Amino acid sequence: MSEFTREGLEPLSTIGNDTPRIDAIERVTGQAKYTRDWKLPGMLYARVLRSPHPHARIVSIDTSAAEALPGVQTVITYENAEVVWGAGSVNGGRQYNDPAKDATIHRRYIFNNPVRFVGDSIAAVAATDRHIAEEALGLIEVEYEQLPFVLEPEEALEEGAPLVYTEGNLCPDFRGEFAPMVSDIGDVEAGFEEADQIFEERYETGFIHNAQMEPRCALAHWQGDKLVLYTPSQGISNCRHDTARDLGLEDHQVQIIAKYMGGGFGNKNQNQDADLIAATLSRRAGVPVMLEYSRREDWLGVHGRWPTVQYYKIGVKDDGELTAMQMRAYSGMGPYRKNSGGISGMDAYGCQNRYREIHPVYTNRTTSGNFRAPSDPHGHYGVENMMDEVAYQLGIDPVEFTLKNMRRPTEQQQFTNYSLEEVINDGAQRFNWQTRRRVTPGSDEGPIKRGAGFSFMMFRAGVGTSSAILRVDANEEYTLYVGVTDIGPGAKTTMGMIAAEALDVPLSQVEVVWGDTDRCPYSVGESGSRTTIMTGIAVVEAAEDLKRQIADRGMPTGSDVLVASATPTPTTDGMTRQCFGAHFVEVEVDTRIGSTKILKYTTVHESGRIINPSTARDQIRGATIQGIGSALYEDLLYDPQSGQPLTPGYYRGRHLTHKDIPDIDVHFIEVDDGYGPFGAKTAGESGIILAPAAVANAVANAIGKRMTSLPITRDKILGAMA
Amino acid sequence: MRDDKKQGKKPNKDLAVKYVNPKSSTLNPKQQSRRDFLEGTGTAVVAGAGISALGLPKAQAQTPTTGSRTAINVTVNGTPHSVDVDDRWTLAELLRDELDLTGTKIGCNRSECGACTVLMDGQPIYSCSQLAVWADGANIRTVEGLAQDGELTPVQQAFVVNNGPQCGFCTPGQLMTATALLNGNPSPTADEVKEAMVGNLCRCSNYNAIVEAVVMAGENGGVA
Repeated sequence: MSEFTREGLEPLSTIGNDTPRIDAIERVTGQAKYTRDWKLPGMLYARVLRSPHPHARIVSIDTSAAEALPGVQTVITYENAEVVWGAGSVNGGRQYNDPAKDATIHRRYIFNNPVRFVGDSIAAVAATDRHIAEEALGLIEVEYEQLPFVLEPEEALEEGAPLVYTEGNLCPDFRGEFAPMVSDIGDVEAGFEEADQIFEERYETGFIHNAQMEPRCALAHWQGDKLVLYTPSQGISNCRHDTARDLGLEDHQVQIIAKYMGGGFGNKNQNQDADLIAATLSRRAGVPVMLEYSRREDWLGVHGRWPTVQYYKIGVKDDGELTAMQMRAYSGMGPYRKNSGGISGMDAYGCQNRYREIHPVYTNRTTSGNFRAPSDPHGHYGVENMMDEVAYQLGIDPVEFTLKNMRRPTEQQQFTNYSLEEVINDGAQRFNWQTRRRVTPGSDEGPIKRGAGFSFMMFRAGVGTSSAILRVDANEEYTLYVGVTDIGPGAKTTMGMIAAEALDVPLSQVEVVWGDTDRCPYSVGESGSRTTIMTGIAVVEAAEDLKRQIADRGMPTGSDVLVASATPTPTTDGMTRQCFGAHFVEVEVDTRIGSTKILKYTTVHESGRIINPSTARDQIRGATIQGIGSALYEDLLYDPQSGQPLTPGYYRGRHLTHKDIPDIDVHFIEVDDGYGPFGAKTAGESGIILAPAAVANAVANAIGKRMTSLPITRDKILGAMA
Repeated sequence: MRDDKKQGKKPNKDLAVKYVNPKSSTLNPKQQSRRDFLEGTGTAVVAGAGISALGLPKAQAQTPTTGSRTAINVTVNGTPHSVDVDDRWTLAELLRDELDLTGTKIGCNRSECGACTVLMDGQPIYSCSQLAVWADGANIRTVEGLAQDGELTPVQQAFVVNNGPQCGFCTPGQLMTATALLNGNPSPTADEVKEAMVGNLCRCSNYNAIVEAVVMAGENGGVA
């Protein structure tokens, strides 16, 4: 079930009404055109050759037999195609930009020697047919000198560990210094002095592949000195800029087209090596080239959420007041620093003494990168399980413990609005928390045990710069140009609804143009839960401008049009803007076989005003289910002896199917804080943050043993009960 | 449960592709050629010099199959086609590349995800894991063949109303399996829908909305 509480909110005409996606017909009739669906005259098909070794130096490569295969047009390798993939490795794992490019020490190329993980790319073939390209890969002779490898981040930092880079395995920060990421607030040692009790525990989380249904692909087509690139990108503007920078072009020489895309969850941010490889092949071959990754290549060659090890030390008074929180942690980044390796969660507490030290570490596993709320679900799992354990050890209800210790507005840091307490209390009541949780964990008689768990969050809903263009013609038809792509949450429809509302016209009068850098202005990209807020604000501003023009000059006549464009840079007046959420879950664990079943799942979110109820509902449900999958099943396991990945793909990754899915109750408490388009915040990433924490807490409540390692597989439960 | 999907219509074609043991001596040539491009099934764990690319065994790669062709007759969405197919093509490739029916999606190309599901003689099958030559004489229905004269079927309509697609990449496959279900069981329960559609993954994890839509389609007179 889903429910939207809108107390005190003025109803709007379009926003807030359940609205089918404006492209729903295309999506259900097979007409929606995804990147692999494009076909250009003379197009070649390309495949990439990848390392079968976790760490090796290539001694020699011989492509002559591949080149001789009839149908093969172009073969490129690390020897003859040196293109830096800038966003593939960045000092500090920050957003790739010009200073980052100059500063980055460990660059990643489209092909690499030495190879540093199973799946590292070394060559590519373009041929008249995809089967010929695949055959040609098998004809490339590569001689490797295998090198020692390291898989675990903690081991990688030990004395004498195999080195991924000669400087050591700790990733450089954005200044190029080999130092961990440290946040030191208050005086943590004084906090421990003040504590009545101190608790310590180690938590670990696995590698979760984004596993979006559409594998990576790219179709490159050079028209003279201009590159037209059809590619599934979560941010066409950034993709264009990055691709131009990597290929030594000006922005206007690159056109990115991403009409429909089959998900990404952070896997398709910015540009990818596939874009650069396709562009390089196409330039050499002189014809369009379609590069397709297989599912296995996508799993190993792109990226997933970084695995972590987190050590916590918590100081608390007997009455449950936190006095100090300390975390030392390790994030396994694979051999390239694509993203931060961040671990969040402690920030949700008001405790004045907090110390956090995160070591992003190079390993010879596949690369880690952004996955929906990149720093959050694994961090919240660690922190919330730590806190849940502390609460039960002190004999305090975890919800009470949270209400006592969670971060609240202060004079120094005010919020645009603060709903956390309301969200938690509402969830506890709806879920019937007091009845469902076991005051004494593991107290059910018999082998089948039930328990309940809870977690909470606040997540950034900040404002920022983006652009929109609106046009109206004499027929009062409005055209909205926004540089968004629709990765799944429904950005096109959302932007259309915001425009319709701001213009006070029906949605049917608004046509949305999207997904093409030659036709659309800059947009922030479908990452970081930013599109609805930032591009949405630009749409509202453009609409206000257009309405003023219409009021001044009247509707255009004949072939005239009126056009308004906006690139606002809004602020929140020094306040922090957050969305809020709480999840409550009841599980049943069969301790004889170690299985966990979700019996009830209740979510309460405050994401500002909801634009389109059905798509917001399904952002929460879908993200929550992804989170359940990472709590109980998903991981990319490696064989420690050979360094080979054992569980790539949907089967071996043990992804949830229709039969595994519980009902997810969704409740939105809607508010308008006066910021964001009509008060909208974010919903895209919120749902996944809380599920691993809540599910793990529920399992601990059921069986009376803290599960300190994700995913909570059957063998771990059986081990805990033994 | 995904194994319940009918693998082609003739018994001798049932061996297809799914988990062929590469060491088996009973492989027929068609399976062997399939193995050439089906990456990774079971070979990836082998370490050392025997692998030339990701899971692509060198010995097989050195004996390339150059495209021999076979003429087949296949009816797709009511239209008969006589096609000269490359023996290496999957049914998905025939539909997408040759007949330009790109609504059918390839998510894994190895029978894991169900994005490529089409109906073969009314039964849902993974078109990535059927060779095109095996479709000789068959009647295929794809997502493009659901709506008639612009009129959506009840399950398509329900997907529109209840936000069935998120990214939409799995949607064609979900719709085809749902269509087969509704043809046999016009008003399924949620549990029956889940059971029937277990072989269609959705990484957006829009499962709740999809099941609700299929149940809704049944309530609205289901038959597709």
